[in-house]
Amino acid sequence: MRPEPRYSAKHHLLPLLADVTHLRSMSLADWDSTLRLARQARLLGVLAHRIMHDPALLPAVPEAVHGHLRSSINFAAHRLQMVRIELGDLEAALPAGMAVVLLKGAAYIAEDLPFAQGRMPNDVDLLVARRDLDAAESVLAAAGWEAEKTDAYDQRYYREWSHELPPMRIPGHALEVDLHHTIAPVTSRTRADDALLESGLRPLPGSRFHVLSPADQIIHSVIHLFQDSEMSGRLRDLVDIDGLIRLHMREAGDWLVLHERARRHRADELLWFALHYCHEWLATPMPQPCGVGRRPSMPTRKLMDLLMHHACLPLIADGGEPRVRGIARGLGQLRYHWLRMPPTLLARHLCHKGFARLVPRSD
Amino acid sequence: MSSSSPSPAELVARTATLHHAGIWIDYGACVVRLRSPIAALADQIELVYGAYPISHQNEFADYHVAVDYGRGLRRHLRPTCRFEIDGIEPFEPFPAASALPMFEWGVNWCFAQRGNQFVLLHAGVLARDGRAVIMAATPGSGKSTLTAAMMLRGFRLLSDEFGVLDPVSGDLRAMLKPVALKNRSIDVIREFSQEAVIGPTFRGTRKGDVAHLAPNRASTALVRQGARPALVIFPRFVAGGRLELKPQPPEQAFSRLAFNSFNYALLGPLSFNAVADIAATCPAYELGYGDLDEAIRSIEQLLAEPCGVADAA
Repeated sequence: MRPEPRYSAKHHLLPLLADVTHLRSMSLADWDSTLRLARQARLLGVLAHRIMHDPALLPAVPEAVHGHLRSSINFAAHRLQMVRIELGDLEAALPAGMAVVLLKGAAYIAEDLPFAQGRMPNDVDLLVARRDLDAAESVLAAAGWEAEKTDAYDQRYYREWSHELPPMRIPGHALEVDLHHTIAPVTSRTRADDALLESGLRPLPGSRFHVLSPADQIIHSVIHLFQDSEMSGRLRDLVDIDGLIRLHMREAGDWLVLHERARRHRADELLWFALHYCHEWLATPMPQPCGVGRRPSMPTRKLMDLLMHHACLPLIADGGEPRVRGIARGLGQLRYHWLRMPPTLLARHLCHKGFARLVPRSD
Repeated sequence: MSSSSPSPAELVARTATLHHAGIWIDYGACVVRLRSPIAALADQIELVYGAYPISHQNEFADYHVAVDYGRGLRRHLRPTCRFEIDGIEPFEPFPAASALPMFEWGVNWCFAQRGNQFVLLHAGVLARDGRAVIMAATPGSGKSTLTAAMMLRGFRLLSDEFGVLDPVSGDLRAMLKPVALKNRSIDVIREFSQEAVIGPTFRGTRKGDVAHLAPNRASTALVRQGARPALVIFPRFVAGGRLELKPQPPEQAFSRLAFNSFNYALLGPLSFNAVADIAATCPAYELGYGDLDEAIRSIEQLLAEPCGVADAA
C-alpha cells in the first residue's frame, strides 16, 4: 500500500505534552493522527488526565475524541489498581528488615505524584542492595512469584552482566516484578554509585518501601531512557523526566545537586542529552538548558539527534516504515549494546545469540 | 445497495479506493477506516456493508486498520492476509480468501481492547421505538441466530456481539456489524427470510463455517442513535423444544450479564453500577425456544408490557 503522508509527533503531540492548552489550536483531523501517536507512545492516559484536569479545556476537544480520553483514563485506573494490588502482595511477602526501593512508575504511584496520573505501567520495578538480592529472590519465589523461563545462558547474562533478574510474575497477575540491584547495567560505562544511591533513600510514609532521592529518580529515568532499551518508544521516559523536573527542581541548589550526583553516577553526558531534548521537545523549564550535565562532542550530538528523532518518537507510517527509521533503530540497538558491554563481552554475547538463532532450541 | 452488478470500471475504481484512500465505516460506537489491496475483500464489503453510508474521505476515524497480503516468498505459493492496526498484528495470518472474517474479527479485537469508555457486554442488542432488548448469552446458545431473525422481522439491530453500554447516560449504543452466522444457522437464516442478504460462506475457519448477514437499512440509518435498556433475554435454543420463559431475579441477571462482559473487571465500580442499574430496572427472562417466530412473538409481548420491577417499587 502507498505510504501515508507522515504525521510527526512534532506537529501536535510534543506541543500538547509541553502545554496542554495547545489543543485549542487543533482540528479534528489533527486529533485523528495525534491520538494514534499518543497511544503508540503509551501517553494517551497521561494526556487525557491533563486535559480532564482543566474543565475549561474539554469543550475545545471534539466530541469524537472524548471517548478515547475516557477509555484511556479507565484503562490507566485499572493499571493503577493492579500496581496497588501487586505492592500489597509484595509488602506482605518481603521481610521487614530489608530495604526495598520502588523505582519509576511504582514509585510515582506510591508517592501519588500528579504528573504520573494516567501512566500505564506494565511492571513493578524494585531495587534492593546486591547483598540482599538472593534473599529477596527466594522470598518472592516462596510467595508465588515465578521467573520467566530462560535458558542457562540468559540466567547467567542476567545475573552477571545485567542489573536486574529475569522478570517474575504470580501466575494470573497482570503485572511483572523486576528485581534490580542497581540502576544501570553492571557492565556498562555508566556506573551508578550504589553507596550514593543508598545514602539518598527516602522512606515512604505509611509504607514499608523506600524511594530514591528526587535527583536520583531523574538520573535513573535518564539512564533508563538511553541505556535500558533500544530507545524505541521511550518518549514516555522523557515525559517522566519532564514531570520530575517540573516537580522537584525548584531552585538553583537543586540543579547543583542533580549535576553533582549525575557526575558521580557517571551519567552526566546522558543527563545533558536528556535535558536538551526535554527543553527542545517538552519546553521543560530549566535555568540554562545547556548548563547541566557534560556537553557531548558535536559528532555525538549529531548521531544522537538522528537516533532520538527516528527511534524515540512515535510515527504513523501506514504501509511501511521509512528506511532511515529502520537504520536509526538498528544504530540505536548497536549503541545500546556498545554502551552496555565492553567489546570482548559484546562479541561473545552476539556470537552466542547469533548461534542460538541458527540452532533452534530443543524445547 | 444497487441490485445491478457493477461494471468492470466500477470494480477497478472500488478496489483502488479501498487500497489507497481507504473507506470509513460508521458502526455507531466507532468509525473504522479500512485500507486493503485485496480485491475480493472490496467485493465482499460491498455486499455485507451494502446498507451502510460508506465514506471515502473523512477527517477522523477511531481506528485505522489495514488488511494486507502476507509477507515474504510464501505469499506467492499460498497467499495469506494479515490484520494490522497502528503497527500491531494481533492475529496469525489467515488464508487470503478469508480476508472478510479476518477484518470482522480484527474490528472486534480493536473495539474490545480500546473501547473502555463503554461497558462491553457480550450480547446482541435490538430495539423497537427506542426500547432495547439485550440478548445475552454464551456462544452456542443461538443468540446470533435469534438476533438475526429479530432484525429480519422488523426490530432495529444495534449489535450482535457487543452490548455497548454507556456508563454515563445508561443508554446502549449501536456497534452495528454484519451478523456472523455460524454453521447451521447460515441456512436457517437463509430460509427464514427472503430479505436476508448473506455474504459468502467461509468454510473451516477457527469458528467453523462463517457467513455474514448484512444489516438492513432500517438499522444502519439509526446507527448514531442510542436506545434505552428495557428487557434482558437469555436465549437458549432447544431443537424441537417448546417455548419456555423463566423469569430471572435481578441478582441472577446481574451476574449473568456482568461476568459475561468483555471488560467488567477492568472498569471496576463503573461497570458494577451500570450493570446493576440494568438488572434493577429491566425485567429479565431465560427464553428456551425451538421456533424463531414463536420466540420473537414472545419477546414482542414482553417488550410491550410496562416495565415492571422498578416502576412498581
